[in-house]
Amino acid sequence: MNVRVLYFASARELASKSAENLSLSEGASVGDLSKEVQRVHPPLKTLKNSMKFSVNLTVVDADTILKEGDEVGILPPVAGG
Amino acid sequence: MRRPLITASVIDPAKVLRSVHDNSAGGTAMFVGTIRNRSEGKPVTGLRYDVYKPMAEKKMLEIESQVKARWPVRKISMVHRYGDLKVGEVSVAVAVSCDHRAEAFEACRFAIDSIKRTVPLWKKEMSRGGKGKWVKGTPIDT
Repeated sequence: MNVRVLYFASARELASKSAENLSLSEGASVGDLSKEVQRVHPPLKTLKNSMKFSVNLTVVDADTILKEGDEVGILPPVAGG
Repeated sequence: MRRPLITASVIDPAKVLRSVHDNSAGGTAMFVGTIRNRSEGKPVTGLRYDVYKPMAEKKMLEIESQVKARWPVRKISMVHRYGDLKVGEVSVAVAVSCDHRAEAFEACRFAIDSIKRTVPLWKKEMSRGGKGKWVKGTPIDT
């Protein structure tokens, strides 16, 4: 299964890219994707305890199961205003 | 066409204020966020905002709905800028018109506080000759 991963702010700099397609096994969760992005881009480990995830524009928990074509946002702590 | 919620263009607070005008409103509260020249005692030349635009627009609309559900709001208007902003420029504007001032103040406060907690926006403090530093922020709220 393929998902579209978007990196923002410090995550984009640590991953050295703003987006990519990742291939995961069927039934993979957001937590599995978190491990995969840290494996592919080890500098992202510095955000391990603070990053959150969105799936198709909604913030989700790590146990959320991903589906083919999902858009996953890698969200460091936010600071608008 | 509704006004943009997230924009790369300069924000004119007067326009945002005019957009919530309503003849039945007796009080309008407004918050305008601007780029300041210092952070933690160090000089800052500007801020660079990053945004997850479609999600940010969705979250801004959710905040508007929450405000309207909690307070008797006549009109609400919110806009947040992204990209490179210089000291003194407006990064965010929120205006709320209500029949009375108490609910206008409360609703406006809730809206700007919610923007900071729930909208996927990030800012990097830029300094002269430096690479810039991402502002620490807080984990996004659902």
